[in-house]
This record gives sequence, structure tokens and C-alpha cells, in this order.
Amino acid sequence: MAYAYLFKYIIIGDTGVGKSCLLLQFTDKRFQPVHDLTIGVEFGARMITIDGKQIKLQIWDTAGQEAFRSITRSYYRGAAGALLVYDITRRETFNHLTTWLEDARQHSNSNMVIMLIGNKSDLESRREVKKEEGEAFAREHGLVFMETSAKTAANVEEAFINTAKEIYEKIQEGVFDINNEANGIKIGPQHSTAGGAKAGGAGAGGAAGGGCC
Amino acid sequence: MDFFKSGLKTVLGAPEPGQLPSGAETVERLVDRVNNSTLLEDRRDACRALKAMSRKYRVEVGAQGIDTLKQVLELDRADNETINYALDTLNNIMSPSQFEEEEDNPHVPMNIGEQFTEMFIKDPHNIQLLLDLLDEYDFRVRLSAVQLLTSLLTNRTKDIQEIILVKPMGVSKMMDLLGDTREVIRNETLLLLIKLTKGNANIQKIVAFENAFDRLFEIVSSEGYSDGGIIVEDCLLLMLNLLKNNSSNINFFKEGSYIQKMLPMFNTPEDLEDIGWSPQKVSNVHCMLQIVRTLVSPSNSAQIISSCQKIMKNVGFLDALCNILMASGVPADILTETINTVGEVVRGDITNQDFIGNVMAPSNPPRPAIVVLLMSMVNEKQPFPLRCAVLYCFQCYLYHNELSQTSLVQTLLPSSTDVSSLTSGRLLCGGLFSADVLSNWFSAVALMHALVDNLGQKEQLLRVLLATNVGSTPVSLLHQCTLLLQQTTKLQSKVALLMLLCHWMSHCSAAVSAFLQVPGGIGYLVNQTCSNEHDENEYLLQGLSAFLLAICIHFNDDSVESYTKDALKQLLVKRIGVETFTAKLSEVSKHELYNKAAKHPQLRVKIPAEILIDYEFCRLFKVLEGVLINSISEKQEPDPSEDRQSPAADNLEQYKSLIRQQDARLQELMQQLDGLMQQNYALQSALNDSIASNSLLKDENTLLKAQVSAKLPSQSNQTNQSSQATPGQQTQASQATNPDRILEYENKLQFLNSEVTRLTAELKASEEAKKIFEEDLVKLKQGQDDLKKDQDDLLELLADQDMKINEYKMRLVSLGQTVEETQADTELNLT
Ligand SMILES: Nc1nc2c(ncn2[C@@H]2O[C@H](COP(=O)(O)OP(=O)(O)O)[C@@H](O)[C@H]2O)c(=O)[nH]1
Ligand SMILES: [Mg+2]
Repeated sequence: MAYAYLFKYIIIGDTGVGKSCLLLQFTDKRFQPVHDLTIGVEFGARMITIDGKQIKLQIWDTAGQEAFRSITRSYYRGAAGALLVYDITRRETFNHLTTWLEDARQHSNSNMVIMLIGNKSDLESRREVKKEEGEAFAREHGLVFMETSAKTAANVEEAFINTAKEIYEKIQEGVFDINNEANGIKIGPQHSTAGGAKAGGAGAGGAAGGGCC
Repeated sequence: MDFFKSGLKTVLGAPEPGQLPSGAETVERLVDRVNNSTLLEDRRDACRALKAMSRKYRVEVGAQGIDTLKQVLELDRADNETINYALDTLNNIMSPSQFEEEEDNPHVPMNIGEQFTEMFIKDPHNIQLLLDLLDEYDFRVRLSAVQLLTSLLTNRTKDIQEIILVKPMGVSKMMDLLGDTREVIRNETLLLLIKLTKGNANIQKIVAFENAFDRLFEIVSSEGYSDGGIIVEDCLLLMLNLLKNNSSNINFFKEGSYIQKMLPMFNTPEDLEDIGWSPQKVSNVHCMLQIVRTLVSPSNSAQIISSCQKIMKNVGFLDALCNILMASGVPADILTETINTVGEVVRGDITNQDFIGNVMAPSNPPRPAIVVLLMSMVNEKQPFPLRCAVLYCFQCYLYHNELSQTSLVQTLLPSSTDVSSLTSGRLLCGGLFSADVLSNWFSAVALMHALVDNLGQKEQLLRVLLATNVGSTPVSLLHQCTLLLQQTTKLQSKVALLMLLCHWMSHCSAAVSAFLQVPGGIGYLVNQTCSNEHDENEYLLQGLSAFLLAICIHFNDDSVESYTKDALKQLLVKRIGVETFTAKLSEVSKHELYNKAAKHPQLRVKIPAEILIDYEFCRLFKVLEGVLINSISEKQEPDPSEDRQSPAADNLEQYKSLIRQQDARLQELMQQLDGLMQQNYALQSALNDSIASNSLLKDENTLLKAQVSAKLPSQSNQTNQSSQATPGQQTQASQATNPDRILEYENKLQFLNSEVTRLTAELKASEEAKKIFEEDLVKLKQGQDDLKKDQDDLLELLADQDMKINEYKMRLVSLGQTVEETQADTELNLT
């Protein structure tokens, strides 16, 4: 149960792109073809290891419908990472990315790591959005990109873990103020003194590191 | 009056001697001043005065001042003092409670605060104004803003929750205040958050996301856990709100290791017995127990329950709860709630059930805790809620656990060696046949739970023998229960025994055949089922008897010759009739207490009289009712002497007609549904219309009331001053003219209405006449046309004949005849 860091994530994107399935695949390692519509926000958690350190991920799965947009906005501020998901078999979900990104950037803290995810990569025959298009969008907006399948579990671990790595690196660079819980990062109970000292040291270089994004 | 008169001198100047300005006038002048004065100090003083008046004259201040005060919040943000007065004034206006100052004022409606709240939130921007003020660090402003939001939420919880939810930082801002180092603000924020989170899952999730549990546990621990003051209780109430029916937050709570953090709440100091429990500690622990129960509530998903139960066991939570059970000096209601909680923490979890099965009570001689609890259950002198809690806990201990079910039955079997010691089984048997009706009920139901879905124990229990009298041969437990059922006159005992027998005999033909061998058993059930008494409880008894009778038929293995399946079925058909039987059976689920019991595994009753039906019995009934009805109404084995021609075709016909019937019924129902849906739609829109107009009228009403109460005194004051001859005449007059006018208008309206009706009628009549005319016209035209045609035909004919005549004439001439010219004919021809 002890962890070095705790990161808060949110998963956003249009309804039906597979957000809930991604979370379920990541936390329970299973795929549920018929999934309830998420009402509001659901929660899941899992421990991962990065750089030999235990990291606890707390993930809030949001509802994509327009009606819940304003509720989703309340979660941006306190999240360290966001998975922005579209469905490679439905172009309109790709087209809506700009709106999602604007919303996220407007309401989150500027350091939030955003991972762009093109989900349902198992449905190659029904693909409407080329992988290159996803890559281009990610490059243009400074996001990390990955195609996943919540069904076959392809890249699902990687998506969550790479996001965590990115956050972890930012912590090392001193970009994140880890003593401010509003950033979606907590130092674990076991490492609180060691982590605190490190944070203090890194904090000094924070201004320089901040320039990277 | 003196109070604010002196307070207002600075603002209004001293009133002229002998002249008292009315409250409404004063309010009007103050509002004017806030609106129009360019000097900040002036506005501030006026706001202060308004605040002073807002308790006694809340209608006037509210009706005239809301908009102005709102403007102050917008425009005078720079001056904290003014803002503070405005906020306090608004808070007084909206206050959900009545002020002492207005107690004897009949003009103030009870829900005036709510009405003003409604008006205030018409513009959602007003809430944003208040949220913005939360950013203000000034102590008074922040505090007043928090308090005002709390009042608003109290008055209009749902509306304001929805408004705040769509403000991106709304909830977050309030959460930030929990970290305010000024305790007063922190504490007021707690109250605000309790109101804010009530029953709104989305807000609850955001509050949890914003680290509420961390903050709350920090506060709870800094205040000394259960020994802390009311702040601890407030924190726990907020946690409870966040978790209740919110699986997402429960998951978060569990994953965030917060269960462990609750543990110190249950630390029982060594010397607790001496210092005793303060009322606040009782409240705190009670809240804590509620939180625990929310996590493992049977209404949660199985996955959540099971993982919470495991954590609670692993971190020593269950031990801590058992310690409370065993400690002395624990107040009765805490004990009761702890027993309920222990029950839910172990329910369905074999490890935990096993754990409490092995807990020993520090009694002399040492006894299993379960036995000690059951002793309380069958003890008339124990408080009723405690006895109910023990039953629930015991049921949870047996739930889905063949082992604990088996070990209970084991204690009753002859092989059980230790005859002297008190066991669960012996306690329950004692309770079953005791003179205390509640003990009968609790014991029968407890025993029944040892048999749920456990065929093995149903059969084992048949082996239990009771020594009734010294010297007489022992009888079986089932036999004794059946005899008692026939003898007892107490409703609760009867129902309990029937429920026990139903569970025992369902799916267990050995138990059925044992029952059939008890003299009088079947006869009793038939008589009960046929009984014709009319009262809710009698119906229930009849239904339960029918149910047990049907169990005797359905699970019958024909091992008792006189009561084979067919024989019993014949008996039922002849003596009762299938239809009557079905009707009686359906009475069970119509009983009010059946429906109450079916809702939740825990018996939720307040008084002993409400004890009647058990949750597990309802489950059995739901599953078997349909099966038994089918089984009874199955066609009798055809008599072999009769001609058995094509039974299959017969069946087929039957099914076909059944299907046809059902089809017709379905159609009928669909039509009804359509009709109802349309009706519903119409009603809905009518309702919406009237809601809308109602809210309009309400607003108008509030304003009018305010104006009336504001104007009445001021006008009479004026008349008093100008000419003392007719005090209050003016108002009377104006009041009198109103009804007159209205009467006049009404008359006019009536006249106009009737005029319209008359004209409409006339119009209709003339239109009809016109139609007839037109029809006639068409007919006439047709007639004319016909005539013309006839004429043409005739003319043609004449011309024809003329020609012929001429021809003949020619012939005659050629034949040498003389022909007379018939002039007349020719002329006629030409006309
Ligand atoms: N083939 C395939 N189907 C998926 C995948 N992920 C989700 N789905 C399906 O897409 C639908 C929507 O998934 P859901 O997780 O509820 O979407 P959400 O609204 O974004 O939470 C469901 O029917 C899933 O079974 C995937 O990777 N591959
Ligand atoms: Mg979803």
C-alpha cells in the first residue's frame, strides 16, 4: 500500500470512444463489451512502478456527454495527467479534439501532462483516422500520442505508464510543485521526508525547468 | 422602535418630534440612499442601517432592497465593511428560521426566506457574485459569504447545487476554505459543505476529488478523534454525505486507505469505564459507525462490500468493533449500532464470519460472543432495538455460510456431547417455545436462517429431538413446531413458525414427509387457507398457509401414503379451488409489512408490533410463488378410464387459445398504454404551464405582500398627520374601490363574453343559411341547364320534322297535289 508518489489522472473525450473500457482494462485487466454509460464520474486506482518507485495512480473516468461538460471541468485543476481519447473508427471524435484540448488547457494547471489516445486500434478495417493524423495533431499541440485497444489491451498499460513517466520526469526537473496537492500529486507517507527534501532541492531549479513546456 | 430610531439618527437625521417614520418608509429612504448616494460612507452607513432593520422588517428590506444589495456586492467590492453589511443583510432576509423580532408579526409568511431565495437565484449570476466573494481574504466578508451560501442552500438545495455545479471552480473554491487557518471559517465551511453535498453525487465526487477526505481526517485527528467536539461530528457527517450511495467515492475511500485512518476513532481508552461516554462522544462514534455501515451496506455492489470487509478485517477494524461489544459501560444505542455494524462487516465473508464465531466474551464462565448476544435476543428485559440488532447480526453471521449454519444446527443434535453448556441452538429452542412472543419470533427466524439454501441442514434439523415432559417420549423439533403452530393464538408466533416451516420444507421432501405425519398438520393448513376472516393479518395467515400447503404438494415425494402429491392436489382442488388458492396466495405480498421487509435485509422497525415478516422469507416467496401456482394448476393426470385421445393436440389447442388470449390482452394493454402516455403527456405539459404561471404568481404575490405591508402603515400615518378627522379612510377607500372596480370589470367581461357567444351563434346560423342558399343555387342552375337541354332537343326535333314536312310537301307537289302553306307552323318554328 505504501507508495512514493500518488498521481491523479482524468480520462476525457467524446462519449463512446472507450474511456471506461480503458480504465477497466488498466485496473482490472478485463474488457467488458457492453458497458454502462458513465454517469458523471467513476473512479479506479492501480499501483505501478517507475524507476524502481511505487507510484499510485488514481484515475477519474468522466462522462463525455455535453450535459456533463461543466462537471468534467471541475476535475482539470486537481489532475496531474489527462488521457484525451478519440475513437479511430469515428472521425468526428477526432474532430472534437480541439474543443477538448481548449477546455483542458483553460481549466487545468499549466503543467498537466496530456496523453492523446487513438482507441480501438483492433478495428483496423473500420479505421477512419490514420495513425499519422493522430501523430500530427499530437506534435502540433505538444502532446504524447499512442494508439490503444481497450479490447486487446494493446498499449493500454503503456498509455497510463508513459503518462506517469512524463509526470515523474517533470517532478525530477522541478517543474511541479509537489507540495501543492492541487497539482494532483501527493508524496507517499513512507517517503515524505526524503521526497520533501528532494522537492525542495528541485524547486530551486523550477523556474528554469518550467521553460520546457 | 427605540432601538433602531436611535441607531438611524446618524443616517436620517433626528425625526421631528412626535413624528415616527414607519419601517417601510425608512427602508425606502435607506434603499434610496444606497442607490443614489455618491459618497461611499453614506452608502456604507445606509447598508449598516438596512442590516439593523432586516430582522424586524425583513419583508420590506427584501422586497425593496434585494436588487440594491446585489449591486453593492458588485460595485462596492473595494470596501469590505460595506460588502459585509450587504451580505449580512441578505443573510437575514434569506434566513431559513424565524427571528424573535418578527414572531408577533402576522404579515411575515413562514417561508419568507425561501421566497426571497427563489427570487435571488432567478439570476444565477448572483451566485457567482457570492462565489467570487469567497476569494476575499477579509475575515468578516468571507464568513458572511459562507453563511449566506449556507442559508441559500438550506432553502433551495437542489436549485443551488445545480447552479454551483456548472460554475467551473464553484465547488473547488469552497473546498479551499476548509484549509483556512481561522477555525471559525473552517467550521462554517464544514456546515456549508454538508448542505452542498447532500444527495448530489456529482458534487460529492468533486469534493472527494478535491482531497476532502485528507482534510477531514486531518481535522478529526487534530481535534482528538471521538473525544473531539462537535467539529468532529461535522467532519464525519460530511464524510457520510460523500459516501452514501456513491460507489465511485466508496472506491476512492477504500483505495485511498482511508479505512485505516478511521481506526483511531474506535480506540477505547483503558479508563473509559470511569470517565464514561460524553453525549458528544456518543454522537461522534455513532456517526463513525454509520460511515462503516455505508461502506459495507448490503445495497452496495458485491465487489465493493467484499473488498471493504477484507480491509476491515486486515487492519484490525473488526477487532476494534468487537472490543466495543465486549467493553462494559457502553451506552445502549452505541452497543446496538455496533452490533448492526459488526453484522454488516461480516455478512457473506467467510473469514470475518469465522472470526466473530470464535470471539470469546469475557464472561464467567467464558462463552462465545455469539452465545452472549443470543442470550440478549431472547431476553425480554433487553431493549427492543438491541434485540433486533442481535437478530440481524446473527443473520449476517449465517448468511451464505454453510459452516456457520452447520455449526448452529450441530449444537442441537443428540450427538452434541456437552449437555450442560449453553449453546446457540439451545437458546434458540428455548426462545422458540418461550412465553415471550418476540422471543418466539426472533428464534424462529434465526433458526430459519440456518436453513436458507442449505438442504443438508434442513435434513439434519429433522433429527433434532426435544424432551417435552419428564418420562414422555421425545418428539421431533418439526413435530413440536407444527403442534405449536396449531395451538398458539399469537399472530407473530404463528407467522414466524409458518415462515420457518416454509423454508425448512421447501426443496426438502424429507421435511415435507415429516410434516405430513404430524397429526392435524394438513387439516390445519386447509382450514386456515379456507378461513373467511377479513382483516389484513388474517389474509396474511391464509396466504402463508396456502403457501405451505403448496410446498407440501410441490416437494412431495409420495412417501406418505395418505398424502401423496395427487391426493393433496385433489384435496386442494375440492376443498379450496385453484382460483381461491391463487387469490389467497397473492395476499401475502400485498401485506404492508411484507413490502417493508422485502426492501432490506435488516429489519427496520421502530416498535415490536411492526415485527412480522423477514427479508429472507420474502426472497423465498418471490422465487416460489409462480412455481407453486403452476404446479397446482397443472392439469390433473387424466383419468385412465377416460378416452385418452391425442392429449398433445388437446394441449396444443389449449396453448393456442392461451396465446390468443394473451395476445388480445397484450393488444389491449398496449392501447391502454398509448392512451395513458398521451394523457400523461398532456398532463405534463399542462403541469409545466401551471408551474410556470404559479412561480410568476408567487413572485408577484411576495412583492404585493411586501408592498401592502409597506404601504398600509405609511398611508395611515400620513392621514393621521394631515387631517386627523378620518384616520385610515384613504386606505379604506382605496381598498373599497378596488373590489368595486373589479366587480365592474367582471361585469363588463361577462357582458362581452355573452356578446361574443351571441355573435358566434349568429355567425354560425348565417353561415348555415348561406350554405343552404348555395346548395339551392346549384340545384337551380342544374335545373336550368336541364331545361335548356330539353329545349335544344325539342328545337332539333322540330327542325327535323320541319324538314320532313317539307320533303313530304315536295313529294306531294311532285305527285301533283296542292299543298296549303301552314304559315303558323313556320312561324312557330322560328320563335
Ligand atoms: N473493438 C473495440 N471496442 C471498444 C474498445 N474500447 C471500447 N470499445 C467499445 O466501445 C463502446 C464504448 O465504450 P465505453 O468505454 O463505454 O466508452 P466511453 O463512453 O468513452 O466510456 C463499448 O461498446 C465498448 O465495448 C476497443 O478498444 N475496441
Ligand atoms: Mg464511460
